[in-house]
Amino acid sequence: MATVSLKHIEKIYPNIEGEKKHHFGKKKQEEKKKSNLKQVEGGVLAVEDFNLEIADREFVVLVGPSGCGKSTTLRMIAGLEEITSGELRIDGKLVNDVAPKDRDIAMVFQSYALYPHMTVRENMAFPLKLRKMPQDQIDKKVDEAAEILGITQYLDRKPKALSGGQRQRVAIGRAIVREPKVLLMDEPLSNLDAKLRNQMRAEIIKLRQRIDTTFIYVTHDQTEAMTLGDRIVIMRDGVVQQVGTPQEVFDHPANLFVAGFIGVPQMNFFDAKLVKENGVYKAIVGDATFVPNEAKQKRLTAQNVEPQDVTLGIRPEHVTLTDDAPQLVTGTVDVSEMMGSSIHLHLNTLGKDVIVIVQTQDLKEEKRGGFELGEKVSFTFDGDVIHLFSKKDEKNLEF
Amino acid sequence: MASKQETLTSEKRNKTIASVILTIICIIWVLPIVSVVINSFKKNTFVKTETFALPNAQSAAGWSNFIKGMTFGNYPFMAAVANSVIITVLSTFLILFFCSMAAWYIARVNSKFCKILYYLCIFSMVVPFQMVMFTLSKTADTLQLNTPFTIPIVYLGFGAGLAIFMFVGFVKSIPIEIEEAASIDGCGPIRTFFRVVLPMLKPTLISVGILEVMWVWNDYLLPYLVLDINKYRTIPIHIQYLKGSYGTVDLGATMALILLSIIPVIVFYLALQKYIIKGVAAGAVKG
Repeated sequence: MATVSLKHIEKIYPNIEGEKKHHFGKKKQEEKKKSNLKQVEGGVLAVEDFNLEIADREFVVLVGPSGCGKSTTLRMIAGLEEITSGELRIDGKLVNDVAPKDRDIAMVFQSYALYPHMTVRENMAFPLKLRKMPQDQIDKKVDEAAEILGITQYLDRKPKALSGGQRQRVAIGRAIVREPKVLLMDEPLSNLDAKLRNQMRAEIIKLRQRIDTTFIYVTHDQTEAMTLGDRIVIMRDGVVQQVGTPQEVFDHPANLFVAGFIGVPQMNFFDAKLVKENGVYKAIVGDATFVPNEAKQKRLTAQNVEPQDVTLGIRPEHVTLTDDAPQLVTGTVDVSEMMGSSIHLHLNTLGKDVIVIVQTQDLKEEKRGGFELGEKVSFTFDGDVIHLFSKKDEKNLEF
Repeated sequence: MASKQETLTSEKRNKTIASVILTIICIIWVLPIVSVVINSFKKNTFVKTETFALPNAQSAAGWSNFIKGMTFGNYPFMAAVANSVIITVLSTFLILFFCSMAAWYIARVNSKFCKILYYLCIFSMVVPFQMVMFTLSKTADTLQLNTPFTIPIVYLGFGAGLAIFMFVGFVKSIPIEIEEAASIDGCGPIRTFFRVVLPMLKPTLISVGILEVMWVWNDYLLPYLVLDINKYRTIPIHIQYLKGSYGTVDLGATMALILLSIIPVIVFYLALQKYIIKGVAAGAVKG
C-alpha cells in the first residue's frame, strides 16, 4: 500500500521509426492514427499533462476509449514506458528512472502473461524466488493466495491446461502474492466472456477487501469502472476529461464526452436553446420548455451563463413515456428492443436518435411485447435531471 | 445422389494415385540408405556387381567391413569420432547460445542496427560456401581456428544465418507482455532471457539444434579445408581415406563406416523429431 502521485506527466512517442519498438506495437500505432492525438514537436503526444493524487489503498480506474492513453499511463507507472516529462512518485519517492522491478509494484496483464513453461505454483512463486525468500515462506504465501483465488487444485498444472478465467486468477495470484505497494491491472477482464467477466468483477471487489494495497485499474468498459472504482479517471485523446467518484461522474459529467461515455445506454442529446426569464434559466427543446432545479439554477447563475444555443443531455432512464404532461416531446419508433424487464426504445426525435428505457411492468398489456415501428410516441423528463453543455467547447455549463 | 457418389469415387481415385506417387518417392528417397545398409554387410567385390541384392552365403561379409573400416590406416577411427563429437557439440552449443540471444535482441529492439544485422544474417544464407572457402581456410589458419576446439567459431559464423532467422521468427510470436511481467517480477534482461525467454524457445532450440547437428556432423568440406588433416580428422574425412593409392576404394568398408557415422544422427533425430515439427510450426498459428 502506498500513495501514488502523478504530476504533469506527459508521454511523447517519436514520429521517426522508433529507436525502441518495445511496447508500441503495430496495433497501438494504428490506434494512434485513428485517434486525435496531438502532433507536437518530436512526435505524438499520447498523454498530456496528467495530474492525479492517488491515496493509500484507493482503487482508481482509468477509463476511456481505445487509444486514449490510459494503458500508456499505467505502463508509465509500471516503468514499462519511459516518462517524457513530469514526476511520478510512489510513496513519496520519485521513481521516474527506477526500473520496474525496483518500484515494488505488480501488474496483471490483459493477456495474462503467465510463464507457459512453469506450473501455476512456479508462476506464483517466481517473483518471490527472485527476491530470495525462504522456500517455506514462498509455499505459505502461494498457498494463501491460491486459497483466496480458489485455484488451489490447479497449482500443479501448466497455464495451457487452464481456462481463461483460471489463468486470469493465476495472473492475479502472481501479482498479490508479493504484497506489492501498488497493484496495476491492465484490462484484466477483457479477454473473458461476459458471464465470466461479471463473476471476476465480483471476485476483484472481494479481493480488494481482503488485501491492503493501492489499485490502479485500466478498462474501456465503463460498467467495470463504475462498479470497481473509488474514483474514476476518464480520458480521451491523452487528456484527462474528469476525475471523480462513480456517482459524481454519472451525476455531474464535466463535458459532453464524459456524459456520453458514462452510462449504458448512453445519454441522449438534443439541440436546445437556453434562455433566462426573470432570472430563471429555461431550456427549450422543440416546443417543450424545461426548467432546471434550484441547485442547477444556482450553479448556472454562479457561472454567469449567458443565454445561448446548448446541447441538452438526458439519460434514457430519466425519460418518461407519456401523453399526459405539460411539456411533451414527440418522436417515432425506429427500433424497439425487448430486454425482458424493460424495453429500449430508439426514437427519431427532432432529427436525433433518442433512447428511452420503458419498464415493461409500467406498460399496458398489449404494449409489453414491444412497440410498432413508425409508431408515434411522446415523452417528457424532469428539469432536475437535465445536463446542459456548451455548443462551443462541449463543457458542462454548470461547472 | 449419383453425382455425390461420383465425387467420392473420384476423390478415392485421386488419393490412391497420390499414395502410389508418394510411395515411389519414399522408396527412391530411402534407397541410398538401404543400399548403404545392405552393402556394408557384403564383400567388396559384390558391392559393385550385386548392388541392390541382399547379402547371401557367398557375398556376406559379416562384421569384417566394420572391423576393417575402424582399423585401417594410421589414424585411429575413435579419434575421428571424438573430433566429430567435439566439433558438433561445441558448434551446436555456440550457435544455439549466441544466436538465440542475438535473435532476442534483434526481435525486440527495432533499431536500424538490428535491421542491418538481421538482413546480413539472411544474406549470409544465400552466399555459397564455395565462394568464400579459400579465403576462409587461409584466415582460419592465421587465426588458429584449425583445431576441433576452435573450428566451432567458423561454424558459428556459417550457422548463424539460419539459426537467427528461425529464432527471430519464434521470438516475434512470443507476447512481449511475458517479458514485461518478468521485468516487473524482478528480472533484469539477462535473467529474463535465461529464466523466461530461453525455456520458451525450447522447440526452436531443438529444431535448430537438429539441423545444425546434421549439418556439422556430416560436413566434409569445411573441416577438410580448415583442419590440420594430419592431426585432426572428422568421420567424413576419415572415410575418404579408405580410398587406396591407385584410386581403388574398399566400398564394403566405406559403406560400413558411412552406416556407423549416420547412426548417431538418426538416433538423435528420432529422439527429438516431435519437437522439430513444433518448432517449425511455432508462431504460424495463435497458440
